[in-house]
Amino acid sequence: MLGQILREAWISITAYKMRTFLTMLGIMIGVAAVVLMVAAGQTVQNEITKTFDSMGTNLIIIGPGETVSGGVRGGRGRPSVSFDDVESLRELKDVETSSYIVNTAVQAVYGSNNYGVSVAGTTPEYLNIGNWEIDQGIMFTDRDLRSGKPYAVIGQTIVNELFGLQDPIGKTLRLKGKPFTVIGTLKEKGDGLMGDDQDNIILMPATTLRQRLKGSNRPQYSDIAFVKVTEENKMESVANRIEYQLRARHRLKDGVQNDFTVRLMTDMVEKVRSVGFYLSLLLAAIASISLVVGSIGIMNMMLVSVTERTREIGTRKALGAPNRWIMFQFLAESILISFIGSFVGMIIGVVLSQIGGQILDKEVPISVWSVVISISVAVVVGVVSGLMPAIKAMKLDPIEALRYQ
Amino acid sequence: MSDSKTKPVIEIEDVCKTYYMAGGMSQSVLKHVSFSVNPGEFVAIMGHSGSGKSTLMNILGCLDRPTSGVYKLDGTAVSEKNDAELAHIRGREIGFVFQNFNLLMKRTIADNVSLPLIYQGVNEKDRYERAIQMLHKVQLDGYQDRLPTQISGGMQQRVAIARALINNPKIIFADEPTGNLDSITSDEIMNLFTDLNKQGITIVLVTHEDDVADYAKRMIKIGDGKKVYDGLRSAYTGEDKEC
Repeated sequence: MLGQILREAWISITAYKMRTFLTMLGIMIGVAAVVLMVAAGQTVQNEITKTFDSMGTNLIIIGPGETVSGGVRGGRGRPSVSFDDVESLRELKDVETSSYIVNTAVQAVYGSNNYGVSVAGTTPEYLNIGNWEIDQGIMFTDRDLRSGKPYAVIGQTIVNELFGLQDPIGKTLRLKGKPFTVIGTLKEKGDGLMGDDQDNIILMPATTLRQRLKGSNRPQYSDIAFVKVTEENKMESVANRIEYQLRARHRLKDGVQNDFTVRLMTDMVEKVRSVGFYLSLLLAAIASISLVVGSIGIMNMMLVSVTERTREIGTRKALGAPNRWIMFQFLAESILISFIGSFVGMIIGVVLSQIGGQILDKEVPISVWSVVISISVAVVVGVVSGLMPAIKAMKLDPIEALRYQ
Repeated sequence: MSDSKTKPVIEIEDVCKTYYMAGGMSQSVLKHVSFSVNPGEFVAIMGHSGSGKSTLMNILGCLDRPTSGVYKLDGTAVSEKNDAELAHIRGREIGFVFQNFNLLMKRTIADNVSLPLIYQGVNEKDRYERAIQMLHKVQLDGYQDRLPTQISGGMQQRVAIARALINNPKIIFADEPTGNLDSITSDEIMNLFTDLNKQGITIVLVTHEDDVADYAKRMIKIGDGKKVYDGLRSAYTGEDKEC
């Protein structure tokens, strides 16, 4: 019986091709929009994950304390975590390594080229912590750090901007008029979360930066410090140990606020990921408004169809069609329309998202969600928008229906 | 008119139909009508518009139920059946021919002829074969794959007759079957009914036209909801009285 009903339904909807197509179009656009939005949301989430992976996730970040004046929390306070503080953390349990950074931004000059760069004064461990890899040459060593050697390890953007096709290794570039020897280059990392260029960076020994670029005799404080933990599930306990250690070293009495902040990278990843998730959800929700509109389109067409085919319904009933048969036939028509519309819409959505990925040079995933969404939409929309017209058809009195002009 | 030896195909006894309207008003459309029709009869039900003959036809065709009284079709009391059972009976025991043919215009003639068989679960191939056999009976060989829009009105009504025959019904009800046709085509259709009747098919015809009724042997006339004549068509004098 199901086969017969589907066949009758198929013949009926193909009898009015233009009308059926236009009705399907509503669902097609709706499903395509949802699939597209889900793909966009997932791409954003993937990009976020990729960026975090490029930084490493089992990191603890130690920054300056928050300024408090008159009970009001302000921005970041003065740097308070010294190089020695950070190095002392390496002795803690479950800590793989630690590093710190002192930042500055200067103009880099090589020959007639110059480029605005950000410089990070750091330790050799930063290579491991920041998930950097050496492309050519070498990283500076602890000995270079202690003696403050004028060495620079440069990112790919600087390689391209200053050296072009030349081999930068062994060349001397100038920062604030002072010479630095390029001893290594970093492998490309791509854009960061905020679209910033992660490859526009020069790494050098922190001592070198402090002496040569800042000319400072202040104690050696880091702008930001990183502790790499051996395993992700040890993050909390290590964070507590760090806090204890730093409070002790800073001689903070009980009740005195920390003059530093300790944050877990995993927490930040979670936060940003959940933002990405809610973003996709929001996009999909907005797109599904067009699905509702498409569904109303089907219901409208089915109601018109039932009215138009009143005589047909009367004839079928007179010739022995049970009421159930009539109902299922009309229901099958709306489900077929919504099913085909959803299927085509899914394909359009997937194809458009891939084309979009090509244009934006991003990898767009083809997710099972597209299929799940499309099929459930097809069934739900088909039944919801077809049920009322189908029941209307079922309830028609055959005598009245046969008399209908 | 009933022959005591054969079981009547239609038996109605004391059938009344009353329509109740909003506001407590009611209208009696059929008043205590009784008669029976034997297998092989050709009966014309006549009456002016508003006489109640259409209501009678709807009850006989199992599209409607009497308010009171008993209707037996082939010995089965159908006045008590529910909608689904009536649909089942219509599909298997009854053939309908309508004034306006009621063909599905977007479907082939074979599809139209075999439509009643869909509801009996007959497969597509068998339906098509049966449709061709029925089209042969109404002299429309070779027309099975055309659309109703491609043939004349008389041919369309013959398609409808083929459709009425396909389930080997106990009886065919024809409601003003020539109402939309010219006189020549009307004669063709009525001759076809006569032929079918000669092959033993019971036919009940509803009409208000005298020359159409002339094809029937027996005539039942309804006036103001009552049976006012029941006898040989040839013996009808034009004088009506309640009987």
